[in-house]
Amino acid sequence: MLISLNWLKHYVDIDVPVQELCDRMVMSGFEVESITDLASTMSNVVVGCILSVEKHPNADKLQICRVDVGADEPVQIVTGADNIFVGAYVPVALDNSHLPNGTHIKKGKLRGVPSNGMMCSGEELCLKDSDYPGAEVYGILIMDDKFPAGTDMRKVLHLDDYVIDFKITANRPDCQSVLGVAREIAVVLEKPFKAPVPTFKTVGGDIRDEVSVSVEDHDLCPRYMGRVVKNLRIAPSPDWMKACLKAAGMRPINNIVDITNFVMLETGQPMHAFDLRHVAGHEIHVRRAAQGETITTLDGKLHNLTPDMLVIADKDAPSCLAGIMGGKESEIEADTPALFFECAKFRRDSVRRTSRTLGIRTESSGRYERGLDIMGTAYALDRALQLICDLDAGDIVDGVIDLNDGLPTPRTLDVTAQSINDLLGLQIPFETMADILNRLHIETELCENGHLHCRVPSFRDDIEGRADLAEEVMRIYGYDHIIGTPMRGDVVRGRLLPERVKTDRIKRLLIANGMYEITTYSFISSKAIDTLCLAENDPRRQAVKLLNPLGEEYSTMRTQLTTSMLTVLSTNFNRKIPAARFFEASKCFIAAALPLTEQPHEVPTLSIGMYGDGEDFFTLKGVIESIFAAFDVVPTYSVSAEPYLHPGRQAAATVDGQTLAVFGEVHPQVADKYDLDTRVYVAEVQISRLFAIEQKPIHYKALPRFPAVERDLALLCDASLPVAEIEDSIRKAGGKLLETVKLFDVYQGSQIEAGKKSVAFSLMFRSGEGTLSDEQIASPLKKIFAALAEKGCNLRS
Amino acid sequence: MKEKLAALRAQALEELGRSQTPKDLEDFRVRFMGKKGSLTEILRGMGSLPAEERPKMGQLVNELRQQLDAALGERAATLQKVLREKKLEAEKLDVTMPGKVHETGGLHPLNVVLNDMIDIFQSMGFDVVDGPEVETDHYNFEALNVPKDHPARDMQDTFYLADNLLLRTQTSAAQIRTMEQRRPPIRVICPGRVYRADEVDATHSPVFHQIEGLVVDKGITMCDLKGVLEQFAHEIYGPTTKVKFRPSFFPFTEPSVEVDVSCSECGGKGCRVCKDSGWIEILGAGMVHPNVLRSCGIDPEEYSGFAFGIGLDRLTTTRYKISDIRLLFENDRRFLQQFDK
Repeated sequence: MLISLNWLKHYVDIDVPVQELCDRMVMSGFEVESITDLASTMSNVVVGCILSVEKHPNADKLQICRVDVGADEPVQIVTGADNIFVGAYVPVALDNSHLPNGTHIKKGKLRGVPSNGMMCSGEELCLKDSDYPGAEVYGILIMDDKFPAGTDMRKVLHLDDYVIDFKITANRPDCQSVLGVAREIAVVLEKPFKAPVPTFKTVGGDIRDEVSVSVEDHDLCPRYMGRVVKNLRIAPSPDWMKACLKAAGMRPINNIVDITNFVMLETGQPMHAFDLRHVAGHEIHVRRAAQGETITTLDGKLHNLTPDMLVIADKDAPSCLAGIMGGKESEIEADTPALFFECAKFRRDSVRRTSRTLGIRTESSGRYERGLDIMGTAYALDRALQLICDLDAGDIVDGVIDLNDGLPTPRTLDVTAQSINDLLGLQIPFETMADILNRLHIETELCENGHLHCRVPSFRDDIEGRADLAEEVMRIYGYDHIIGTPMRGDVVRGRLLPERVKTDRIKRLLIANGMYEITTYSFISSKAIDTLCLAENDPRRQAVKLLNPLGEEYSTMRTQLTTSMLTVLSTNFNRKIPAARFFEASKCFIAAALPLTEQPHEVPTLSIGMYGDGEDFFTLKGVIESIFAAFDVVPTYSVSAEPYLHPGRQAAATVDGQTLAVFGEVHPQVADKYDLDTRVYVAEVQISRLFAIEQKPIHYKALPRFPAVERDLALLCDASLPVAEIEDSIRKAGGKLLETVKLFDVYQGSQIEAGKKSVAFSLMFRSGEGTLSDEQIASPLKKIFAALAEKGCNLRS
Repeated sequence: MKEKLAALRAQALEELGRSQTPKDLEDFRVRFMGKKGSLTEILRGMGSLPAEERPKMGQLVNELRQQLDAALGERAATLQKVLREKKLEAEKLDVTMPGKVHETGGLHPLNVVLNDMIDIFQSMGFDVVDGPEVETDHYNFEALNVPKDHPARDMQDTFYLADNLLLRTQTSAAQIRTMEQRRPPIRVICPGRVYRADEVDATHSPVFHQIEGLVVDKGITMCDLKGVLEQFAHEIYGPTTKVKFRPSFFPFTEPSVEVDVSCSECGGKGCRVCKDSGWIEILGAGMVHPNVLRSCGIDPEEYSGFAFGIGLDRLTTTRYKISDIRLLFENDRRFLQQFDK
């Protein structure tokens, strides 16, 4: 919220530099976003009065002026402007001055005649007519004689000011106003707070003759107040009011509109003025909109209304969106003769919903949303009427409308002062607490039993109990008094969830395998899944969608991690990074049913991706195997059928019929979609399933005491026979003595017949009883040969 | 005969002196001491000697054999030494050539920093818990003292998945789940991913990470909060780091504070990193709001607690001086290589 420092000074004596003020406000809970020095845009520009005008001896279009600039001697200025005259008050940029348009003025000579400055046009000072009357006239800005020669132009233009941008937290709606902030400053600087006391004259009559008001929906409008002003004398506002509005970022319009805005900024209470000519039947109804009703707001936009929206309607139709924006129809115009001032409290959630639904956010709706003091409406209305009188903008009719369904009685809180200290961990003297609370307008009495008896003012709805009072005391007493105490309590060791421990183990293993961890967004494009060419009924297409995504690109909660991995691989590949090994451990979001009615399952999943020289299906499989080995799990590998993987180079790892991982080379058709012109390998591992498998405790196995006997087998079999089946046969037939079976060669080619392959295994036999003889392994070998023959594997001679 | 032996001796020793290779030595052995070698020949030739001379001669031959054997051994040792030296000389490497590396990978920088944090808090007795990323309105807002249509909801733009389901905007949601599942004393941190509808730019990401901390026990005070945060700040930013509380507002804590640490870059003197303030804002914290305790069935008259929420992404970017948060999610290998050291 932008507030002029000069404006604040109306209500509290600020005798510290602006930076110190802001620092102290920050430490009391009011963050300062920025401090703008309005004066910094202009320097060394003063009011001048022209004493004489003479023709330039060497130039027809130039004139030489002597100008009183408040100094001992007048200065000589040469000008080309022709709208000047003796006695005119003009802005003068002296030697070494800076203008808001960036110009730096220095003394010099024009056609041989010294000129010690420059008279300025409105344009050169970046002024509009609304800033200073006549500023847009071509030529030098001719001013009135309100300020004597020599006055700094920054004072004339109300630029001798700072604009402070305070960030008001959501719990302090009372500080969305100049008075609210001034009240806090008064507490911080320990100065009196001087709020205006509104007084005004009325001219008789009776408001009931002018307008009838009814509130049909008090649930959405707890209080509705109004006044009528007649014989309006609409004119521009005075400069001081314009300056206040402009500092706050508002555009001055005319005295009536400006008064409503000024009062809103000053008190925080929004107001609205209706042109009584356009209030049909001079009836005002505060009611819910009827289905099908519409309104055209001040900004010219047409809105369709629904019955949950509160409107201010006349006899016929809605003429204002309650608390949000007025209607075009009843807007104040230059010739409006009489108005109805509305000053009301609307329920904040209602204003918020309507404002969101219609997409209109205004200074007014923002204030209503945060909640206003129901007792503040009368004050704001009176203040507006005072300004009507002060500005002589109209005649106030006797009588006030005040419709409410009961006003709250003052709340009291009773807490022990010690309990506040207990929460803070300090020993603040009880008297100090009471004093701080009183300064904050929370009338507090320190009772003999150590209780604080507090009357909470109506504008401090946020104060509900001990914790709130503790905060009030602390932010004024000063947080620097809080001294850290070391962690207390029983000495315990923090525990990690088993899933985290196990995931960390996998991560360490993958890192040892040369892999880098990546982090990607959990939401992806809704089209990403299509790149995987999944079947229409694939469950991974049943993804949870965001109702309000930032864009299509981030619209869908992912059901798999592979598309994110492929995107990252593509980024790296296309940046000419020759090789990469990545993993990501993150969650997939699996809905039980769509549309979503309950939280989806968040399934911890591991994704792996790699490319580069030396990578192939088996380097990936090696990584997968090492993960399972780390958990002492022995899966079965079988051919899988993922459409996004190479049909001949993919596998699933299963345990007890449950798939723990699917991995393989990416289908070239899919790789193409990611601009990956290389072989890419990916895997997805269902780590939660892996973690669910119970690990047996590790028991040491005795080291062998006797040597092993090694036998190599070279076999010839159908090329299509998986080696795992052969190995399985060997193991089953090999019996107890067979210790290891290791594949060491597979060959297909010209040396052997077509459709066949040569497979070579190295077998190790060992006994715990003694060194094995050839005779002892003859029997298992015989069984192995028999089993192999059944599989169609013949020993190569 | 004697002369013959002497000549043989001289010849053998001279030849041995010339030998250069193991093969030379083997040839020498065969020629002089082998089955058909010169010494054997002489022994065979002893048959022609008178019987009384034979033992003496035999002794002389044996002596010579022993001498040659010893000389051969000596020569072999010398040669071996020379050869080894030659070999070593030939094997000389340019040790400035690069080593053969088995490249290991690394954790993502966010998790490098997170692991440090987990270590710190675990050592202070905090359990590390987890919570769902898709939350109900209740856990993310209502139970945290943010009713529907409350302006405090504006502090966080929320992604919705259904009427009542959203992507959590804060790990504080896990506070409630923790307090429902555990009774005081409670000491937990909950790291996790959170979401807010912020457009992507150099300092904003719709997906980011927080670490929520929660302590609930009898007699917990704001000074305890500061103590824990000081401990944390000293571990992360160095032992001389100062911690400052600034009043603030969060719906679920009261009193609420923003927490600044003295800028580790300039030591608090003011620099570009801290925007000349000497302080860097690192987290929000406060005493758990009595309404929040109550909604979890914990009596605020009996227990009190504190909570804090640390932005992991910001902590990471400031630690490594990463200028653009988007780099964290882009995953360029050359970026990822720089952190897990």
